Amino acid sequence: MKFDWPYFWESLLSPSPQFLSGLALTVIISVVAMALALLLGLVIALMGRSRFLPFQLFASLYIWVIRGTPLLVQLVIIYTGFAAAGIFRFEDTDVLGSLIKGAVQAAIIGLMLNESAYISEIVRSGLESVDRGQNEAALSLGMTPMHSMRKIIVPQAIRIMVPPLGNSFNGLMKSTSILSIIGVSEMFQVGSTMSAATFKVFEIYIVVALYYLLLTTVWTFIQTAIENTLNVRAGLPRAEPVFKRLFGIRSRKQATPAPAIALQPADAA
Amino acid sequence: MTTQHAASTSASTPPSDPHDNIVQAVDVCKSFGDKKILTDVNLTVARGEVVVMVGPSGAGKTTMLRTINRLESIDSGEIRVNGELIGQRVNKHGKVVERSARDLARQRADIGFVFQHFNLFPHMSVLENVSLAAVEVRHQPKSKVNDYARELLERVGLADKADARTRSLSGGQQQRVAIARALAMRPALMLFDEPTSALDPEMVGEVLTVMKGLAEAGMTMIIVSHEMGFTREVADRVVVMDAGTIIESGAPEQVFSNPKHDRTRQFLSKVL
Ligand SMILES: Nc1ncnc2c1ncn2[C@@H]1O[C@H](COP(=O)(O)OP(=O)(O)O)[C@@H](O)[C@H]1O
Ligand SMILES: [Mg+2]
Repeated sequence: MKFDWPYFWESLLSPSPQFLSGLALTVIISVVAMALALLLGLVIALMGRSRFLPFQLFASLYIWVIRGTPLLVQLVIIYTGFAAAGIFRFEDTDVLGSLIKGAVQAAIIGLMLNESAYISEIVRSGLESVDRGQNEAALSLGMTPMHSMRKIIVPQAIRIMVPPLGNSFNGLMKSTSILSIIGVSEMFQVGSTMSAATFKVFEIYIVVALYYLLLTTVWTFIQTAIENTLNVRAGLPRAEPVFKRLFGIRSRKQATPAPAIALQPADAA
Repeated sequence: MTTQHAASTSASTPPSDPHDNIVQAVDVCKSFGDKKILTDVNLTVARGEVVVMVGPSGAGKTTMLRTINRLESIDSGEIRVNGELIGQRVNKHGKVVERSARDLARQRADIGFVFQHFNLFPHMSVLENVSLAAVEVRHQPKSKVNDYARELLERVGLADKADARTRSLSGGQQQRVAIARALAMRPALMLFDEPTSALDPEMVGEVLTVMKGLAEAGMTMIIVSHEMGFTREVADRVVVMDAGTIIESGAPEQVFSNPKHDRTRQFLSKVL
């Protein structure tokens, strides 16, 4: 086997500016798409819970279509398909002094739409996990349904939702690697370009893999910290330690049935 | 108990409320699906009155109580609290329509409700549970509300638990917090749905003691309960429900020792 160690270490420890900007783009696209997907997912979840039938139908249809088709196909339809059919073309746009490529906008929109369908299901089951009596108690104290949602239901549902939402974000960061198909120069795309120019295919993709691993590992630490904060605030035991979830070691027995942990085991990467 | 305030009757006092009745339910009907749960229920409660509702399981007691603060809607009939239709209003064409969510919330703020299973907010401390609504709904200053909340916790014997988590409390303590939480809104009426039936027997007394204190202080209460000793002591009136209707109503001694209805006799023989 031929493995160019010096080239590997060089690429890993002092990555080129192009590679770093690819990494930055991966992070930015992930965070922005996730933030937007959270908002849209909440809206879809609320539509699904609405008493207004057209809202319910729209939410079901949306979730069905988005979850039933591949992200790759959705991205190509949004970016290339829409433009080809003359429906909509993503143009490079200046946002707060920096030029955002059309492909990047399409990537964010596509990931947001895709992720929001999954998030709406997480939000829905999180909201449903809060006992009906909680809402009734809030209403009986003179809160409006919206007020009860904000002060009573959502704060309790969040604790249930964070582990699956965190896993979702983990998956989202990894799925940015397919954005190369619409020409977004995120980390994977930069890696492919480099490997085509240098033929150091194995070395470069190992470096790319290690950087994805770094991202998802850092995120696992952040997610654990968030879960711990929420659990402590709710007077519950702490979440699984980071090293355990990174290596997939789960406690077989939960000391206390803490739904945030028991419902949806969080696994890293 | 029923007093007439003829002199103070102002234009804003609805004509339908001449006897200062805080609750006036007329011909209330309610079905779940095609199952009739309440059939022509009539119930009037005067200010300061303590009414205990009894009856076999499935009689519709919980449903009736929940219609009074509109946690449950009604199919026909009308329910007035403080003279206002609860959750409904008459529009300018004389049609009865739903009130807005905000308007209904305003009405509910004056009606305390104590649930069988407490329904305390687990993500808040005991003190926050009690003070939340006064701050959030009545927009009273937090420090003033907290003072009053501590006073109420003292009244229910839980002054030392103000900063505790609700999870760490026993059932009896949780129910007393739930009562304090409802009282923090200074309600004109308190509704209790079997407040002691989810409790271990040794904790029933502490909750009933708090409720007796409220009755003595003149609070208007409608209580669903099977605690007959307690009922005899605090009830001004006992209302017996069976199969979705009120079959009997009267002073506790009269209903307990000389029931008019066979079904009442049957029911009492099981609980007394
Ligand atoms: N949300 C509901 N949907 C369908 N049926 C219900 C609902 N709530 C209560 N019921 C039915 O209504 C009847 C009366 O219930 P309830 O008011 O709880 O009686 P009680 O409190 O006297 O035991 C019962 O047969 C119960 O099954
Ligand atoms: Mg009941």
